[in-house]
Amino acid sequence: MSSLSTPDTPNPLNAAADARRSASAASHTAAVKRRERAAQWHLLFLAVVVLGPLVIYPLVRLVLLSFTGPHGLSLQAYSTFFSNPETSGVVGTTLWILFVSAGLASLLGIGLAALLFFKPFPGARMVTRFLELFVAFPSFLVAFTLIFLYGSQGSVSIALQRLLHLEAPPLNFLFGVGGVILAEVVFYAPFVVRPTLASFATLDMRLIEAARSLGASGWMVAFKVILPLAWPGIAAGTILCFLLTLNEFGILLVLGSAHLITLPVAIYSSATVDLDLPTAAAGAVVMLIMSLSLYALYRQVNRRKVKGAGHGR
Amino acid sequence: MAVELDPTVLPVMHKKARPVRRSLPVRMLGGLFLGFAALLCFWLFVLPVLVVALSSVAGHWSGTILPDSLSMRWFERLGSSDFDALTTSLEVGMGVAVLGTILGLWLALALEGRDRRGLGALVDTIAMMPNGVPSVVLGLAVLIAYHKRPLDLSSSAAIVVFVQLALVLPFCYRCAAAALRPELTILREAAASLGAPPSMVLRRVVLPQLVPAIRASLALGFALSLGELGATLTVYPPGFATVPIVVVGQVERGYYLPASALSLILLIVSLAALLLIAARVPRRRVD
Repeated sequence: MSSLSTPDTPNPLNAAADARRSASAASHTAAVKRRERAAQWHLLFLAVVVLGPLVIYPLVRLVLLSFTGPHGLSLQAYSTFFSNPETSGVVGTTLWILFVSAGLASLLGIGLAALLFFKPFPGARMVTRFLELFVAFPSFLVAFTLIFLYGSQGSVSIALQRLLHLEAPPLNFLFGVGGVILAEVVFYAPFVVRPTLASFATLDMRLIEAARSLGASGWMVAFKVILPLAWPGIAAGTILCFLLTLNEFGILLVLGSAHLITLPVAIYSSATVDLDLPTAAAGAVVMLIMSLSLYALYRQVNRRKVKGAGHGR
Repeated sequence: MAVELDPTVLPVMHKKARPVRRSLPVRMLGGLFLGFAALLCFWLFVLPVLVVALSSVAGHWSGTILPDSLSMRWFERLGSSDFDALTTSLEVGMGVAVLGTILGLWLALALEGRDRRGLGALVDTIAMMPNGVPSVVLGLAVLIAYHKRPLDLSSSAAIVVFVQLALVLPFCYRCAAAALRPELTILREAAASLGAPPSMVLRRVVLPQLVPAIRASLALGFALSLGELGATLTVYPPGFATVPIVVVGQVERGYYLPASALSLILLIVSLAALLLIAARVPRRRVD
């Protein structure tokens, strides 16, 4: 800055102004540095006072307890949790239910979003609004309403019985794997619809029209134009759906607790029914590792999405 | 439940550059397909809400397609324990919403512009972490940490507020962070350069601009807290119950209709809270 205003011949007035200017600049950088340091201390304070007791300390205690046996460090809690005959295949069960229901929910959600965006039917706007309000709908309530619809004495079941003139109500799948998967698909598909719609909204519609006018068919537009452009948003939505489905508890408790042991239910029952906190902690640490790695993946994809959007503009 | 509360925008329909003529069967098939999709949407997402409403005014509903009579008796039969649970839920929800909003705002202000590297990135990650932790696991962790000395909260309602606060914090933090836009930073710097002390800048410039975000964060925290089940069920002290705990207990014992009366009240309260958001949603920061 100062080089601009300095003429070729040095004169005392200019030198004084220069000195003043550099002094002010120095004091300014010092102030910035001081403020930055204060902000760092402020952050540290926040981390220790707020996040410490709320998040860090409980999770550390959980992990420590899972490794504590009667005589110091041991893996006994893990062997107890996984050698229990009721919970032996629990990770496998949890994972296959997760893949089936989150996979179906993602496919349904993406399909629905595509329909709402590219071929809006009458009432599409209302459906979109409604999906936004689904946030306020607790998951256990979805499981509960399905009992009225698909339970063995529920509406659909009775309607089918009357329609087909059967002896007994035909549907009897709700309290078990089938019901859990149905409830999770219904509840989590809207969570895929929203991010997918948002990523469709950033698409350049001119590209799609150009592809169409060049003679591309609907499928070609979908797979060669829309999907490659929108996939980061779709991927983020799908991973989010898997994460939420893995973390689900209410549906499993209402529909699955009798016949189906999954990881959250096993943790819950060994903590509150058997009152065996170390064993529950071992199960919880296994689950924590699974969901935190999925969450890390989500953050990674989401960050790339934000970056990609920035480059596109 | 990790949710970003952006209003999703459907696009303006452009006229097609070259209208494609299709034969009648294809068009009919397309119409049929759209009708089927609309029906599916209604069936999957609208019907559950209607079923809660309908079953709560049903006199009796089992083994029939529709309830055989309508009555308000399940609402009349709600006992004092149900209303206690409702009051508890509302109190806990308000406490969690207010505390979560304050903490979220504080975090967002402290982390503004610093959440990309160093300590800031770490604090950001930790603050968002409860989003990725199953509610049962977080509940268990809080129970383990605070069920005996030095700090024993296991017999007080404070532990429920505590665990729900941890679960709600990421959402409140996101809400506030999304509202701290660059324009706001410029305004704040302008006020500071004109000689306003930091407290005055916060009171007169920052907070007024954050009002929509604060409202959204309060409503979201309230709604999430009302519906929270997993963590609350793991930590709740004896003699304490929120509406979800009562509803799940009734469902497990087979009392479906009283449960739906209580859940309808819960739904109406949390929808009212969410409609406050719908009134005004902060735009997401484009970064």
